[in-house]
Amino acid sequence: MYTWKEMETRSALPMGKLNMEQLGDARSSGVMSSTLPVRPNNSGEKFPKIPDSQLVLMDREIRSNPLPSDYTPFVSDGGNVGPLFSSPSGLSSDLHFSSSLPHERHTNGTPFANQLLNAGVSLSSTYSSNTGIFQVPNNNLPKDPTAVTWCPETVQGIGNSKINDSLIVVSNDLSKQNEWWSDIMNVDWKDLLNDTTIAESQSKVVCPAAQSSPDISMHQLQSHRSVPCHAGEVCSITSPMSATTSTATKPRMRWTPELHELFIDAVNQLGGGEKATPKGVLNIMKVEGLTICHVKSHLQKYRTARYIPDSSEGMSEKRITQSEELPSLNLKTGIDFTEALRLQIEVQKRLHEQLEIQRSMQLRIEEQAKRLQVMIEKQRKSTMEKQHASSTPSEPTPHSTAEIELPEGGNSSSSIQRTEDSRQVGNKWKMPELETSNKKGTDAITGCPSTSKHIRVSNEDA
Amino acid sequence: MKFGKRLKKQVEESLPEWRDKFLSYKDLKKLVRLTSAAQPCSRVEAEFVQMLNAEIDKFNAFFVEQEEDFIIRQRELQERIKRVMEDDGTGGSQPSEMEHAKEMSRIRKDIVNFHGEMVLLENYSSINYTGLAKILKKYDKRTGRVLRLPFIEKVLKQPFFTTDLVSEMVKECERTIELVLPVADRGQSEQGRKGALVAAEQSVFRNTIAALVTMQELRKGSSTYGHFSLPPLSLPDLQLPSPIPILQ
Repeated sequence: MYTWKEMETRSALPMGKLNMEQLGDARSSGVMSSTLPVRPNNSGEKFPKIPDSQLVLMDREIRSNPLPSDYTPFVSDGGNVGPLFSSPSGLSSDLHFSSSLPHERHTNGTPFANQLLNAGVSLSSTYSSNTGIFQVPNNNLPKDPTAVTWCPETVQGIGNSKINDSLIVVSNDLSKQNEWWSDIMNVDWKDLLNDTTIAESQSKVVCPAAQSSPDISMHQLQSHRSVPCHAGEVCSITSPMSATTSTATKPRMRWTPELHELFIDAVNQLGGGEKATPKGVLNIMKVEGLTICHVKSHLQKYRTARYIPDSSEGMSEKRITQSEELPSLNLKTGIDFTEALRLQIEVQKRLHEQLEIQRSMQLRIEEQAKRLQVMIEKQRKSTMEKQHASSTPSEPTPHSTAEIELPEGGNSSSSIQRTEDSRQVGNKWKMPELETSNKKGTDAITGCPSTSKHIRVSNEDA
Repeated sequence: MKFGKRLKKQVEESLPEWRDKFLSYKDLKKLVRLTSAAQPCSRVEAEFVQMLNAEIDKFNAFFVEQEEDFIIRQRELQERIKRVMEDDGTGGSQPSEMEHAKEMSRIRKDIVNFHGEMVLLENYSSINYTGLAKILKKYDKRTGRVLRLPFIEKVLKQPFFTTDLVSEMVKECERTIELVLPVADRGQSEQGRKGALVAAEQSVFRNTIAALVTMQELRKGSSTYGHFSLPPLSLPDLQLPSPIPILQ
């Protein structure tokens, strides 16, 4: 079971001096290069007063969704851990991109884009009247109790929307100055180091629980995991580990073009979209794991998409275009029209390109973070072994501060910054133990099991 | 500008039925603020995680649903194109030609919008992921917990984030568009710009522009730029025309 107590009882690992060569490399290659000054974290949070009634309401709503006793967010895939442990040398090169010019302003598309947006504003009123025509996600929910696309855990989803309603969105303007990207991705060194003390114990606790628990709720959550799809196989998203996942849970169905082809074949065999029945299609398709509910909803979508054969395809298209039909009608066959389309497609292509790049970057960032964490953990383990081998008389007591001494490698200005960050943070959290930093000069580091989940980064000559 | 504001703006610019499918960033942020920093307890964390899970469910459901629609629509478009191409061969009387041309433009418009919608779904995925990462970081910062890293690992594997199929469909669509759109004529470019502005009133296109602008502004360099930040978005060769008065 995933509790904090378990982590607290896990004895903190004493840490020696980290071998910063590896990390130093990563830093010098551009991660912490001097062109990117890291401002101390502006952690001055303001706490708005939310009326008690709202708090109670929120609390009640949350309680109405019973929390499964063994909650784990998702199945952890133990098998995925391996490939991420590639050689650390890959680290420095991959992080290099971040040293590009941070303050370059790009205003290329902005004036035009703003104009376009302004142009679009006048049409926004027409859209408001068109809402609710095609509420796709809600289609299956009230009708079919066995609607497959919804696992029972969607009760949580509904509960969540209740929460949203009850939490009145007050426009509180807490003007924090942080840019969002740096906020997300600026995993400070101290954060990473924090991660290492807890994350590993966390994952260790979580993984076995995920694999062995026979909870229904567990399986529902497990059903989130996506499974690579093959032609002819149903891409129902279930974990292979959950042997008991059969009729009890309703895995989410994920269609593929190949599967759709099979569907089309079956439909055509039965005489077309109108004549075909879900049962018939299901029988012809003979795809394992595919249920009649899957087929039923898919068939419905299919029919809808074909309903308007001559004008635009699909209902969502129709809704989008019917308000533009008039102004663009006279341009329908003009050359301007195709030029307009060409421009549109260019912009769209560009967005797609950028999204792909962004996504792969995000993946790599997380990969790096994980690798780093593993490395640090390994390092910590090895120094722990060293410490056990030679125990010193001046061994710090269990209540002592957890510190990681960083040598004066890499960029000195950024390490000073980090120290300031951590000091600010330390003060903020009001942990008196952190103030008693004994043994600044020693390499021995002991973690504080009960309260100090925070590793303070201190600079040796700060 | 703050992420919350940007997200809100993006949501406003979204296609109508998408608007309540985005991350409830503000609500989550509130929950994080309510979480006690001094004594973070497991119950609160459990609630937080539950809320996050619910959000992720929402994303997954919506994403998978849209994906399914796209699969169906893609095939239908391909069918229509096939039929139109076949008609072309028969050559024929006047009405048929005009019909043919009309259908051709309809297909072109539809396919371009289809492409746009798919890209917007990718954008949806991206912006929600970003919001999740951000809120997790806030939580970690506030409570001293280490929830972010393992949680985000799981998120990376979620259906709404595994956009490979949509990406593939987008590329397929681009190939088809190459075949379907006539060859570009340089001389017409000026008139085309005006037409573009009219076309820009279409919600898909407008939303795409909004998404690009948002992305650009979100990734502008800042003073808290760190070693895990994404670099600024540069679109030097995107030839968006200079502002021209909108056609009425």
